[in-house]
Amino acid sequence: MEKAIFTFIEKCVACKGCEIACAVEHSQAKSLFGAIAESPRPRPRVRVENAGAYSYPARCLHCEDAACIAACPMGAMTRNAVTNAVYVDESKCIGCWMCVMVCPFGGVSADPVAKKAHKCDRCPDRTARGEDPACVAACPTRAMIYATPEELAAHRRQATAMSAAGMAAARIAGNVDLWRSQKGGMRK
Amino acid sequence: MKIVIIGNGPAAVAAAEAARELDGDCGITMISKEAVPFYSPCPLAEYVEASVPRAHLFLRDGRFYRDRDITTLFGRPATAIDTEARQVTVGGGAGATLVAYDRLFIAAGARAVMPPIPGLADTPGVFALKTLADADGIVARLAAARRAVVIGSGFIGLEAAQALVRRGLAVTVVEALGQVLPQMLDAEMAALVETRLRDHGVAVRLNSPAQAVLGGQAGVAAVRAGGREISCDLVVCAAGVRPDLSLLAGSGIATATGILANEFMETSQPDVYAAGDIVEALDRQGKHRVLPIWPNAVNGGRIAGGNMVAARTRSYRGLDGINVVRIFDLPVVSFGSSTGERSLRYAGNGILKKLSLAGGKVVGAQFFGDVNATGLYHGLMNKGVDVGSFESELLSPGFGYGRLVPRPPLPIRRAA
Repeated sequence: MEKAIFTFIEKCVACKGCEIACAVEHSQAKSLFGAIAESPRPRPRVRVENAGAYSYPARCLHCEDAACIAACPMGAMTRNAVTNAVYVDESKCIGCWMCVMVCPFGGVSADPVAKKAHKCDRCPDRTARGEDPACVAACPTRAMIYATPEELAAHRRQATAMSAAGMAAARIAGNVDLWRSQKGGMRK
Repeated sequence: MKIVIIGNGPAAVAAAEAARELDGDCGITMISKEAVPFYSPCPLAEYVEASVPRAHLFLRDGRFYRDRDITTLFGRPATAIDTEARQVTVGGGAGATLVAYDRLFIAAGARAVMPPIPGLADTPGVFALKTLADADGIVARLAAARRAVVIGSGFIGLEAAQALVRRGLAVTVVEALGQVLPQMLDAEMAALVETRLRDHGVAVRLNSPAQAVLGGQAGVAAVRAGGREISCDLVVCAAGVRPDLSLLAGSGIATATGILANEFMETSQPDVYAAGDIVEALDRQGKHRVLPIWPNAVNGGRIAGGNMVAARTRSYRGLDGINVVRIFDLPVVSFGSSTGERSLRYAGNGILKKLSLAGGKVVGAQFFGDVNATGLYHGLMNKGVDVGSFESELLSPGFGYGRLVPRPPLPIRRAA
């Protein structure tokens, strides 16, 4: 199967590094300082949301049966035949917001300046070069991984084994969990 | 197997695509009264406004039909259906053609309602805004037009008003009821829309049912509405749309406001399916309704297309009653009921959001100025999610799908 972005919600520390990396990747300059100077300022397509005691880097899930594609009356919402990612063909989008209206995940937002639907395109330039999408690459706790479902299963098995063996990676994750539980405790 | 599809809109094309994907050998014939390939009616106002070029309206070209081996009978309407003999009559009189079917899909769409008021039907310069021909007619008349009257303040009427203002016309919207967007919004929301229209130069006359279109063969001169004459040289009649049931006479296909269909998009007659703006199918609450929006048409078409090839393999989860309109770029969306047990509000920065709750669940929403995450709230309603435990967060700016993600329990760590 194709690769997708998977989230380990318990690892997200809401640092919002993914938001910055996403905005930079989708800027003209493709650099942080260049992006800040651009007008309109590039907007991230991932948003770290409150998830109770956790936080969650929310973005388009690139659904198999995508409601936004069915709803688009301009043929602008399209699936990339190579990466399987759903993206907006901006030359066709008229900003009618039908996609925003039907996405049950809030995965498409309205860009009021460009008047175009705004969503994760899973970084086609980066993945074509064999790199992870910008949000995944930027995540310091590996709360997101870009992998096939088979690779995800292997990853989980390995993590479980390392945790059982008390190895280093598990200890790092444990520190994150501790921080997270304190934050949760304060909020309650 | 011979599949015959009446229509060439989103439901018809979705059904043809679904059927062809499942069965490479079946015969597919599409019949449409319009002679042009599949186009989108949704951006017709933007086409009049000149913000969308005519070429962008077309979503498929002639190659689409050829590549899928679809026979096209375009430019002549289907005029009768004989469900006993299993054939459709195309065209009328001596030139009529009979087309036999094994499976029939009716997606003939809706037509614009033209109220029976004097002068509306036969005065040059009066248009609906439903078809490409309507839009082309309006565009052709723009050069000579200075003042326009739009009859009706539904979303097509308001889109037309906005387009005409942007083409430099002085526009008056006449509405029979006491508020704009009466099918979509409550009075408070409608007042915001009305203010926005006036701020952009649209004259809005409420409680003003159109009574007559004045003029002659030279063209429209005025509209009388609510006892007042409004002079104009262009009229757009946007008094709503109705399923076009004209070809069903004598077919035995059961209808109410539209063609009645079940969750498989089957009609009352065997092997006859229907979807799109012509259908009266089950909504999410299991009630038969006519809900002519693009996503319902595409989804209904896919269901029918699949079931025509393999009966009852696909079923519809229900039509959605939701719509979005932009009023001079500010988006407005509504779904469900505007009266619940309670209403949550968020107001600020020119944005007003209202969410109706009943029994701990979302039952409707109206958003003005910001429609982000509308689909999330709509999904909460459709899935019947109990929102009681996070109700206070629902309209806060940080609310999102993250709040609904299944999450692991917090780790409990004992001191070493």
